[in-house]
Amino acid sequence: MNPNHRSILSRLDDAVRWTGFPARVAQKMSETPSVDRKHRPLRWIPILPIALSCALFIFSLTWPPALDGVSPGAIISIVTAFWGSVVGMAPIIHTSGPLGKPSWKDDEREAALRKDSFLFCLWPLAVLNCLGQPILLILSHWQNWQIEHSASVVSLSLMLNASLLGCLPTLYASWKLGRLPKE
Amino acid sequence: MSLHNRIAVFRAERGISRRQLAEAVEVNNQTIGYLERGDYKPSLELALKIARHFGVAVEMLFSLDRFEPIAMTLKRAGEDE
Repeated sequence: MNPNHRSILSRLDDAVRWTGFPARVAQKMSETPSVDRKHRPLRWIPILPIALSCALFIFSLTWPPALDGVSPGAIISIVTAFWGSVVGMAPIIHTSGPLGKPSWKDDEREAALRKDSFLFCLWPLAVLNCLGQPILLILSHWQNWQIEHSASVVSLSLMLNASLLGCLPTLYASWKLGRLPKE
Repeated sequence: MSLHNRIAVFRAERGISRRQLAEAVEVNNQTIGYLERGDYKPSLELALKIARHFGVAVEMLFSLDRFEPIAMTLKRAGEDE
């Protein structure tokens, strides 16, 4: 069969194999985890959902006047769609990232790396929430936000939290993992 | 404080690959690499397991001070004899 004329299904299979999930599932289903298992460092991809959620959050804060005429239902639908896509993307990155799934048998270094990553993620999230919430409260009062504006800011701040919680540990662990020379 | 080790030296001397050592001490292949490079400090349990695998005291493998070159150790051993 000519490799240039492969079916769409075969190309889809290749795309799924490229993600690394089939190999990981096979490894997970095997009785003993292989010592050769490697965590794939994801140094750039987790930035995407974080950047997207940051951009949307800033957009909701600026609240262009053009949005005043849009119905609250439409705004909530759009925000929910974005929210779903970003939150949906975060666990995928988390699963294929260096932290892996919690059920995998990690050795002590991997477990320590996971712990470090989550501890690292905790402080920016805590600072962001502790400072951000009073600031949002003051802003909403000062700028006299309407209900739809408040709803979009709240839901997008949730999205920002979720994407940071999902992607920041993977990002931290990926940058901490140096490249090892081949034996 | 940095922890120095001679895992790579012992591994090379015994002709053991990273993978074989990883299997023996039940850790990931990469963990041995990071250990050798000094990027990760092992737990006491792992250090003892590695020392047991090589059949030496843990002090022979890990040290808080920089290890002296092998040539110096051999020279001193020769002088003692």
